[in-house]
Amino acid sequence: MSEGAVIKWFKKEGEKIEKGEPVVEVLSDKVTYEVEAPASGIIRKIMAEEGDEVPVAETLAIITALDEELPEVEAITEPTVERVEERIVASPAAKRVAREHSVDLAQVKGTGPEGRIGEEDVRRFIEETKGARKVREAIPFTGIRKTAAERVSLSAKTAPHSTITMEVDVTNARKLREKFQVSYTDVLIKAVAEALTEYSIINSTLEKDQIKIFEDVNVGIAVATEAGLIVPVIRNADKKSLKEVASTLKELVEKARNGKLTKEELSDGTFTITNLGMFGVDVFTPIINPPETAILGVGRIVEKPVVVDKKVVVKPIMQLSLSFDHRVVDGAPAAQFLREVKEIIESSESLLV
Amino acid sequence: MREITYRDALREALREEMLQDETVFLLGEDVGRYWKGAFKVTKGLAEEFGDERVRDTPISESAIIGVATGAAITGMRPIAEIMFGDLSALAMDQIANQAAKLTYMFGGQTKVPLVIRMPFGAGVNVAAHHSQSLEAWFLHVPGLKIVMSSTSYDAKGLLKTAIRDDNPVMFFEHKLLYNIKEPVPEEEYTVPFGVADVKRKGEDVTIVATLYMVHKSLAAAEELSEEGISVEVVDPRTLVPLDKQAIINSVKKTGRIVIVTEDCKTGGVSAEIAAVVAEEAIDYLDAPVKRVAEPDTPIPFSPPLERFVIPDEKKIVGAVKEVIH
Repeated sequence: MSEGAVIKWFKKEGEKIEKGEPVVEVLSDKVTYEVEAPASGIIRKIMAEEGDEVPVAETLAIITALDEELPEVEAITEPTVERVEERIVASPAAKRVAREHSVDLAQVKGTGPEGRIGEEDVRRFIEETKGARKVREAIPFTGIRKTAAERVSLSAKTAPHSTITMEVDVTNARKLREKFQVSYTDVLIKAVAEALTEYSIINSTLEKDQIKIFEDVNVGIAVATEAGLIVPVIRNADKKSLKEVASTLKELVEKARNGKLTKEELSDGTFTITNLGMFGVDVFTPIINPPETAILGVGRIVEKPVVVDKKVVVKPIMQLSLSFDHRVVDGAPAAQFLREVKEIIESSESLLV
Repeated sequence: MREITYRDALREALREEMLQDETVFLLGEDVGRYWKGAFKVTKGLAEEFGDERVRDTPISESAIIGVATGAAITGMRPIAEIMFGDLSALAMDQIANQAAKLTYMFGGQTKVPLVIRMPFGAGVNVAAHHSQSLEAWFLHVPGLKIVMSSTSYDAKGLLKTAIRDDNPVMFFEHKLLYNIKEPVPEEEYTVPFGVADVKRKGEDVTIVATLYMVHKSLAAAEELSEEGISVEVVDPRTLVPLDKQAIINSVKKTGRIVIVTEDCKTGGVSAEIAAVVAEEAIDYLDAPVKRVAEPDTPIPFSPPLERFVIPDEKKIVGAVKEVIH
């Protein structure tokens, strides 16, 4: 996240505020959240209007002590530091060869007059560093890739992940799919949404000393796009019919592929589904999409021999992998939730509601 | 192969072209039967072709070039000799403003197939008026071709090409070259314009040298090879047209260039060649361009001082070592 939008101020200029009280609602790339007052006092000045997009770390408002006047704001200037740039003296030929071989001239020792780097020096360096990993291309680590990296790091660092897996018989889901022309993903979303209303502890977030259980069931779907992974959200999936889920998802995926998703369509997820089945993956350990509590990984569907009534029959089987935040729930409720998902998919009847 | 002098090679070219084409004729001060040219290049030609085709002229360079230019535009192929190249200054208006421009001014309706032969260069203690190297003057005049042949072989082949060319050609000779003896085939050949000759192959440094400096550069290259430094000597042979690609190809190989010319350094031919390399091959240069040229001074009469100002093997070796560090 590099900038956020100011959605709503809860206080006006001149109003008193207590430390910890929500003062402003901010929308990031993926979620909205309330910013709490870092100190008690009076909101002296609001610097960003509702609707403004503001870079991260920019001042949004100034809180002063009750009897404190706002001092004249002085322009804060960065102390100017004399930067003596170390000029690399290299011949044009040395520079060309360095360019052709992606050699950083700063690494090369020049043997010419006054340490000038010649073509020979670069060639010797290339020869000496042969076998080391050569960099062919450097991709800037910015934008959606960086945001994704920050978020998975945050999740992996803060939420102790545990992953459980379960096999699901999709015979009925397949029928449903054919009959109503919906996808397995639609069925999964609907099943997950149903299960989340039952096991609402999974539909939650851990915030400091509270586990907040969400009222809404907003299911995010991880979509791989050319720009990177994004997660459009199907709001109130529990209240939508299977057909409605299907049409909403279709629209969102279309928008995702064209980069047309709005902030609203990417925000407020309470649970995420990620599918690697199309790549032949059976089981994996997905990383929770913060600040959610769990994520469901979907594997491929394979025709497998299974025993039914002491007879071996072939059935289409899908593997589900549920990663959950072990701080919020233990294995048992997570397993119950997953079993619920499994049962809903296997029966598939309740989905037609 | 037989070896003949540069002088004889030139004479062979003149004679062969006079035999083949009756519009070819010579004119100049003392080129005829009595003096046979200041450096004896035209010896015997008046006897063979008659005084009509080998004409002694009054001592007026302007008149020589004016007459020659007029003859050229009426369909003749005159070869004018300026006794000392320095004296071309007297004919400069005829060369630069008439001969060089007539084809252009008449919209291509006339040609100027004129050759002006001129001995240049120092080394024989004839002082400031008779020792200069003035190729840069002509290099700056569009419409003139410039030939600088360093060997007997090139002299003959290039002179024949010059005589057959339909443009005014400044044909540079060097006083110290007339007596060099080199292999020249007996059968007919020509040397094309705009094609440089690599006089010595090498790997470490490129020397681009012209006219007599080719020989000094070759001597320097030989000396340097004993120290394990491999020098390539490129002789452009014609300055207009200039074989840029040959120079660039050599620089691409060696990454280093030393330009050796006898003319004054400032605004000299070496500056033009350096600029070509800087513009078109900078990415291949591994060391600064070095020029060995005459300091900006009149050529002294005093033999020690003359030797002091003219590029020699020692200066060339020094410059090569500077770029090779």
